[in-house]
Amino acid sequence: MAAHEHTARFDELLPAYALGALDGDELRELEAHIATGCAECQRQIALWQGDLEELATAVEPIAPSAATRERVLRAAEAGATVVPFERPRRTGAPRWLALAATLLLAVALWGIYQQARLSGEAGRLRAERDGLARQVAGLERRLDQTQADNRRLAKTLSLITAPGAHAIQLAGLGPAQGAVGHAFINPKTGEAVIYAFDLPAPAAGTTYELWWIAAGRPPVPAGTFGVDEHGAARVEVDRVADAAEPKTWAVTIEPAGGRPQPSGPIILKG
Amino acid sequence: MDPRPSHEIDLMRRIGAGEGEALAEIFDLHSPLVLGLLFRILGRRSEAEEILQEVFLQVWTQAGRYDPDRASPRGWILMLARSRALDRIRRRDSSRRREEEVAGDPLLAAVHPVGTARLEAVERKSRVHSALDGLTPEQRRCIELAFFEGLTHSQIAERLQAPLGTVKSRILLGMNKLRQALSS
Repeated sequence: MAAHEHTARFDELLPAYALGALDGDELRELEAHIATGCAECQRQIALWQGDLEELATAVEPIAPSAATRERVLRAAEAGATVVPFERPRRTGAPRWLALAATLLLAVALWGIYQQARLSGEAGRLRAERDGLARQVAGLERRLDQTQADNRRLAKTLSLITAPGAHAIQLAGLGPAQGAVGHAFINPKTGEAVIYAFDLPAPAAGTTYELWWIAAGRPPVPAGTFGVDEHGAARVEVDRVADAAEPKTWAVTIEPAGGRPQPSGPIILKG
Repeated sequence: MDPRPSHEIDLMRRIGAGEGEALAEIFDLHSPLVLGLLFRILGRRSEAEEILQEVFLQVWTQAGRYDPDRASPRGWILMLARSRALDRIRRRDSSRRREEEVAGDPLLAAVHPVGTARLEAVERKSRVHSALDGLTPEQRRCIELAFFEGLTHSQIAERLQAPLGTVKSRILLGMNKLRQALSS
């Protein structure tokens, strides 16, 4: 049977075809035949569609809302597409895909936002950690300094309060006129500490050097020192020989590094 | 027969020429029946009104394709509507039966044809219902499943748990009975 030849078999398939119920091999067979341009099929399809139109009119008519009429006419005038109704369409694949894409985008953006937020948070925490580390280091330095101060004060206090301890006052001379000093000696241990106040800063390339001098003997060097911004200085001496014997204490100006014997002028003495 | 086809064919020509007033007139003429069909197929009023918009915008943009030798304007628009509604049905998760939705929706009673349109509607429905009454319940069920739910032979056989050949036979006999009743 040639595909273009219209037969009674096609007459039987056409009602179901017009109804949209034909499927499988029968549908392919009829479509191939219709594609040949069969006029009889076209005529019958038009007739069956007329019948189906009648079937469609059996439904109850429903007056559309005024809003729907307005939307249609407005959209037509604007040349636009359908104005969406209030209820979102959720069943179509494109809508579903669009929703999925939107969700993925939202998740991605959320991820980026979270990453940026966490990154910012991490940076802030690192900065805070560094700041705290600096504070800790500063506090540790202050603690070390305080502990050193305490040790010095404790040593000075033990020196001053030691049984038999004695103090010697020193007076400024020459360029250090007006300066004062105090020497505290523990005669039992030989430890000594000397405080000086209102001393001018030593000139560049020079330093102050402390001496103690026993009667009839050459001066003994007891250390070099500078002064703070207030002209004050504190010098500890671990051990003074024959500490119970009276001594003279003196400060001279010496070249940087000091000298084994005094060579410069005496600026503090007592 | 509808006494207005030539006027409606002229409306279609004017719509094709871009006359908004002609679109408004064809909308007022046929939108209640089209919406009734859409609601019968979709079972949801808001969805039916949404598709109704799409249908008449398709009329607006494709009126130039309308061929008066093949269908009346009303028939062309109804078939456009049916096609769009069935497309929507096929995309939808159709686990629910539409007839259940229809039976449970009070909007089905919202019918407002008036005047001659009401008389025509009553007469038309009476004629079609008489034709449908001439079918066996099985034939009518098969044709309704194909027409209102877009099911094919195989899908109807599966839905009704009936042999495929029986379904084909019911549809062929039912369609022929329907034609005889409508043309008498």
